[in-house]
Amino acid sequence: MDVIQSFFQYILDFGAAVFVPLLMIIVGVIARMKFREALSSGIILGVAFIGMGIVIGFMLDALTPAAQSLVEKTGIQLNIIDGGWTSMATLAWAWPLAFLMFPLQMLVNAILLVLNKTKTLNVDLWNVWGKILTAVLIIGVSGSIVLAFIVAAIQMVVELLLADVNQKQIEKITGIPGITCSHSMMIFAVFLLPFNWLLSKIPFLDKHVDADTLKDKLGIFAENHVMGFIIGGLLGIFAGYSLQDILMLAVQAAAALTLFPMVAKLFMQALSPLSEAISDFMKRKFENRELFIGLDWPILAGSNEAWVAMILMVPVTLIYAIILPGNNILPFAGIINISLAVPALIITGGNLLRMLLLGVITTPIFLYVATGFASTITKLANDTGAVTVQDGQLISWSTLEYPVFRYIFASASEGNIIGIIMVAVWLALFVAYYKMMKKRTEKFEKEEEQNSAA
Amino acid sequence: MKKVIVACGSGVATSQTVVSKVKKILEKNGVRANVEAVDIKSLDLHVKSSDVYIAITKAKKQYDIPTLNGIAFLTGMGLQEETEKLISLLK
Repeated sequence: MDVIQSFFQYILDFGAAVFVPLLMIIVGVIARMKFREALSSGIILGVAFIGMGIVIGFMLDALTPAAQSLVEKTGIQLNIIDGGWTSMATLAWAWPLAFLMFPLQMLVNAILLVLNKTKTLNVDLWNVWGKILTAVLIIGVSGSIVLAFIVAAIQMVVELLLADVNQKQIEKITGIPGITCSHSMMIFAVFLLPFNWLLSKIPFLDKHVDADTLKDKLGIFAENHVMGFIIGGLLGIFAGYSLQDILMLAVQAAAALTLFPMVAKLFMQALSPLSEAISDFMKRKFENRELFIGLDWPILAGSNEAWVAMILMVPVTLIYAIILPGNNILPFAGIINISLAVPALIITGGNLLRMLLLGVITTPIFLYVATGFASTITKLANDTGAVTVQDGQLISWSTLEYPVFRYIFASASEGNIIGIIMVAVWLALFVAYYKMMKKRTEKFEKEEEQNSAA
Repeated sequence: MKKVIVACGSGVATSQTVVSKVKKILEKNGVRANVEAVDIKSLDLHVKSSDVYIAITKAKKQYDIPTLNGIAFLTGMGLQEETEKLISLLK
């Protein structure tokens, strides 16, 4: 036993940039990739880890002193740096058991399809990383690998059921039939349900707002380099920097936000042959079924309502970060709150005013959960060696996807009674959401029938 | 060499998936082209220097370059048609 254990420890001690590519090559060969391809993918994966490590380190080194200066000058304590989703994906893939999430997802999806409990075939294998992140957070909090896989499996079931009931609404927004979004970020819509219900009682909010013109005017602020420059500049000003230092910080921040997606792309490049093979395999197995193909969220990225909501939420998030007592996260790489705007788009059916109000109501939740998970996430980063976070630096994600689901399940996994009660409440809300969207689907179908009859 | 761009929400995941599919298809058909994943937030900038845009969304806006349906590459439905269009645009 000891020999095996020390052998595994030896492998892990290579660091994520070495052992995850090694795993990837082995998994690739098992999945019948050509060795040459598997090797190439594996090395690219290592490059992705090294690249992300460099950019995250650069970001932390640039922003942390400014955050320290901010607290000295103003007393505002924002000492947790927001690494955004790309940083979290890096941590997730660095988990030694990460690849097991592929077969688990295939199994869960296949079982639900065979039992006729879902009509969705999730071919978006990339986003298993969301389940991996949930699992590592559960382990970080509870230490239990078994619970981590159980919660990840629950998340897989939930995302498939949500993909089923959201399909018609998604078709209405995208105009594309037969597809749905099986991204877990839709889980947040369950939490939005009661707030959306209250807001739907206010007739004034039913007004249609022209998002297209707003998008044209505001779109430039959403570009990574512009957003980075503005946030870096603002931070420099509030930190009491000199003009030269303000501008340097602004450009450094712009560089970090521009480089993150460029480097994170390498993860995808490395993993896509494998995920393609898996999704082709699954499609072949269920060829003769009428299915919704479950895809990643960008099928909804044509919605200007979503973009306007994301952009307008940026100043709201920054203001909340400053004024909320107990918030310690400095929103940065994750500041564009996709995790909020996309589920809000679905639940409101594209009503911009309601989306914005939902954002104003729920943004504090994102910031508090990000603050709450920061020490767990920082510890994970150091444990896996995927990212080096220096002493005194903290990292998290200001717009962590489905923060409520992750927080209460993590809390329940610790055996916390309140957490367990919250899980029960959440499940009840989930059933209510499921029924509400089912009714909405029937209404849409009836309208379609009438239109085709007329 | 002609340039093809694929855009998605961050230029990381979905667009990169389509890029690797498209690259494979082009390789099989012996067509050479630059295929690149880009961020939809900066799409206007990228369109200027590209020849074909593969969209994953139904865009309201019309662009000056031919636009193909990227969903076909993700789901396999209508793939043949989009492939033929792409190849004829690049030849």
